[in-house]
Amino acid sequence: MMSVQLKLDQVETYIGQYHILQGINFEVRKGEVTVLLGRNGAGKTTTLRTIMGLNPASKGSITYNNEEIKSLPTYHIAQKGIGYVPEDQGIFAQLTVEENMKVAMKSENDETKERLSYILNLFPDLKKFWKKHGGLLSGGQKQMLSIARAYVNDNDMLLIDEPSKGLAPIVVEKVMDSIMQMKEKTTIVLVEQNFMMASTIGDRFYIIDDGRTVHDGPMNVLKEDDEMRRKYLGIA
Amino acid sequence: MNVLMKNKKTVFYTLIAVLLLIYPFINDSRSMMILFTQVFIFAIFAMSYDLLLGYTGIVSFGHAMFFGIGAYTIGIFMKRFEPTIPYLMLAVLVTIVLTALLSYLVGLLTLRLKSHFYAMLTLAFAGLFLVLAEKWRTMTYGNDGFTFRVPDLFKDRFDFYLICLVSMIVVFIFLNRFTNSPLGRVLQAIRENEQRSESLGYSVLQYKIIASVVSGVIAGIAGILYAISLRFVNTSVFTMDITLDALLMTIIGGVGTLVGAIIGAGLIEFAHHWLTELAKVHWIFERWIIFFGIIYILAVMFFPQGIVGTLKNIRTKSILKRQRNLETKDTNEKAAG
Amino acid sequence: MELLINLTINGLATGMLIFLLAAGLTLIFGLMDVLNFAHGGLFAWGAYSGTWIYATTGSFVIGIIGAIITGLILGVATERWIIKPVYGNHIQQILITLGLMLVLSEMLKVVWGPNQISATAPSYLAGSWEIGNVIIIKYRAFIIVVGLLVFLAVQYILKNTKIGLIVRAGVMNKEMVQSLGINIQKVFMLVFMIGAGMAALGGVLLAPYSGVIYAEMGLEFAILAFIVVVIGGMGSFPGSILAAILVGLSGSFMAYYVPDLALAVNMLLMAAVLIFKPSGLFGLKG
Repeated sequence: MMSVQLKLDQVETYIGQYHILQGINFEVRKGEVTVLLGRNGAGKTTTLRTIMGLNPASKGSITYNNEEIKSLPTYHIAQKGIGYVPEDQGIFAQLTVEENMKVAMKSENDETKERLSYILNLFPDLKKFWKKHGGLLSGGQKQMLSIARAYVNDNDMLLIDEPSKGLAPIVVEKVMDSIMQMKEKTTIVLVEQNFMMASTIGDRFYIIDDGRTVHDGPMNVLKEDDEMRRKYLGIA
Repeated sequence: MNVLMKNKKTVFYTLIAVLLLIYPFINDSRSMMILFTQVFIFAIFAMSYDLLLGYTGIVSFGHAMFFGIGAYTIGIFMKRFEPTIPYLMLAVLVTIVLTALLSYLVGLLTLRLKSHFYAMLTLAFAGLFLVLAEKWRTMTYGNDGFTFRVPDLFKDRFDFYLICLVSMIVVFIFLNRFTNSPLGRVLQAIRENEQRSESLGYSVLQYKIIASVVSGVIAGIAGILYAISLRFVNTSVFTMDITLDALLMTIIGGVGTLVGAIIGAGLIEFAHHWLTELAKVHWIFERWIIFFGIIYILAVMFFPQGIVGTLKNIRTKSILKRQRNLETKDTNEKAAG
Repeated sequence: MELLINLTINGLATGMLIFLLAAGLTLIFGLMDVLNFAHGGLFAWGAYSGTWIYATTGSFVIGIIGAIITGLILGVATERWIIKPVYGNHIQQILITLGLMLVLSEMLKVVWGPNQISATAPSYLAGSWEIGNVIIIKYRAFIIVVGLLVFLAVQYILKNTKIGLIVRAGVMNKEMVQSLGINIQKVFMLVFMIGAGMAALGGVLLAPYSGVIYAEMGLEFAILAFIVVVIGGMGSFPGSILAAILVGLSGSFMAYYVPDLALAVNMLLMAAVLIFKPSGLFGLKG
């Protein structure tokens, strides 16, 4: 039985007066890819943001490696070894690819350099456009840069929000491959609308509907259950 | 419950109004009457500012612009033409047109931008008017300013006191109606959550401009009364001090309450009067405005609703508490019985 | 010809002083989303404290250092006790910084009295050079040199150091910087301090240039600084110096040829920028 790395217990989040998360419960096991599924506006992105402390939870508890992180400031949570790849990639547009990576890199020691060269081999485009401004990259390249930034430090967990959004199928495949490779070194929490991608790389799934976790289980179960997919994800 | 409270309020206000009306008959002091007159004038000014800040959530640092336009317009008309009622009415008309036009244009240019821009721009515009008044000596006599005569009706201090009091009451009632009207409620919604109002289909910019125009015109009227009270006008009416007065009065008195503006005006004007007297005793009192500046900072930090607003909150909280206690009492009785 | 050179130098000098004030404003706004309406107060305090220290110690250099330190201290205090408590609420923050501006200006009068104070340049900077037909006033050249040095120093820090990188990244996307594990609060404090220090430096340099200092100078220069920040673009450091030079030059030329229109021209520039390109000529945020 794999150990639980991240646990959310009855988490609720307000954005202004809006009660976005009304009861989120899930566990992320070490070494697995846990996928958060659900319709648009269900609260998937907010869940990731709440874990990172960008939209702090008002109720419930969030434990990471058995430590309560709910009330910590975002930078502190990130320092605990959680990398975040947001929905809009969060690329610093007027900084070069090199500068984007530099901001992310916590140190220049050998291990980080190794991870950097690993990720640059995975995404050779980044090496090619090393001195180019981030804002000039294509959608797929930005996604790769965002993932690279989250990966270059020795993070134990990555939160990745809809990496395939707006990308051409061939690029999606590339991103998928990279996540599959990273899976060996780090735990991943993935928000994905693209079910093909989600079902291929995911180990466990949680369905979020109207701000609540309504269903979960091993990914292969969801692959078989057409009705559940139709009901909660609106897909056949 | 609400209707009862509303009636209580109206009774209370009417009582105050009547008291103020008969006050000069009770108290002979001429200086107090003049002081009260100033309070009424600045109350009008502060209420116009409250409409912008308290009800619509717009921070303007150039409100002195409209005040000054009113002051100079009446001065120029009285001096260049004749100090008679018809010319006074004309001056009022011109003021209304000028302030409405100016507030409309400024609003159109800048209200669609972030609040920071609006604040900066109004600050700069007010500065521009100040410089304009200083340079256009032929019209304004520059920094020295000029005196002028006023129509006979306004010459008597007591009559003027009544005019200002009635004006203040009229403005208060008007703004009260205005802010409670459907239009006024939209303004308040904009203050609370601009994006939501926009998504609900309201053209936020248009509403903001309306608020800006109404506010500007009323500020101009206050300026007119101010100049008449002094029978003198100079560049001081365009200074930052005037805008700061409005800010201090609304914040300390209570934003978004209208009554707060009146109370704030009273506080500041009375303090100014007494503290300048005390300044003869010790020079520190001459810097009385620091005292208000600090209160203002604390108010913005801890009591964004000002005096009246905080009192309202305390009142609402105690009412809600009583209701809840009654409810728990009910449920307890039901459970027991 | 000499006239042109004089006006240009004049404009450049004024521009540098405005730059020192505007640079801090624009970085603070770009990074923290805070428009510090009290920035002019820091400028005025720099002028007063610097001039006083110079008069007391006899050393202009010590006066400058003293002014900068005053700015740094006031900057720290402002950031921690005034800005931080209302962080996030734009309206409160605009109102509170203006209140601070009022208090700072009045405190000047409490400490140094309500009258104007005269200020002179030290002897080694007084006077002028004669190059052919052209007379160059030493003190103005001094201001231009100092301004340029400060610009180059800060620009170097921004482009070539990690902290500078973080500041630039933070201006573009605060949340992402935090998500990368960087405590951006600390960076706020640093940027605020540097901005305050620059403002105070601007003030103490202005004093001998204009010959007199008075409490209202803070607000007057702040208005010019706001105009520059809007024209140059909120959050753009290079934008602030370019716009400052532009405003300085236009003011200088206008003051000579059409004096009454000087401020009006700058305001029209600002209005034009706001209408057509609100993010400013070099802006990174709208």
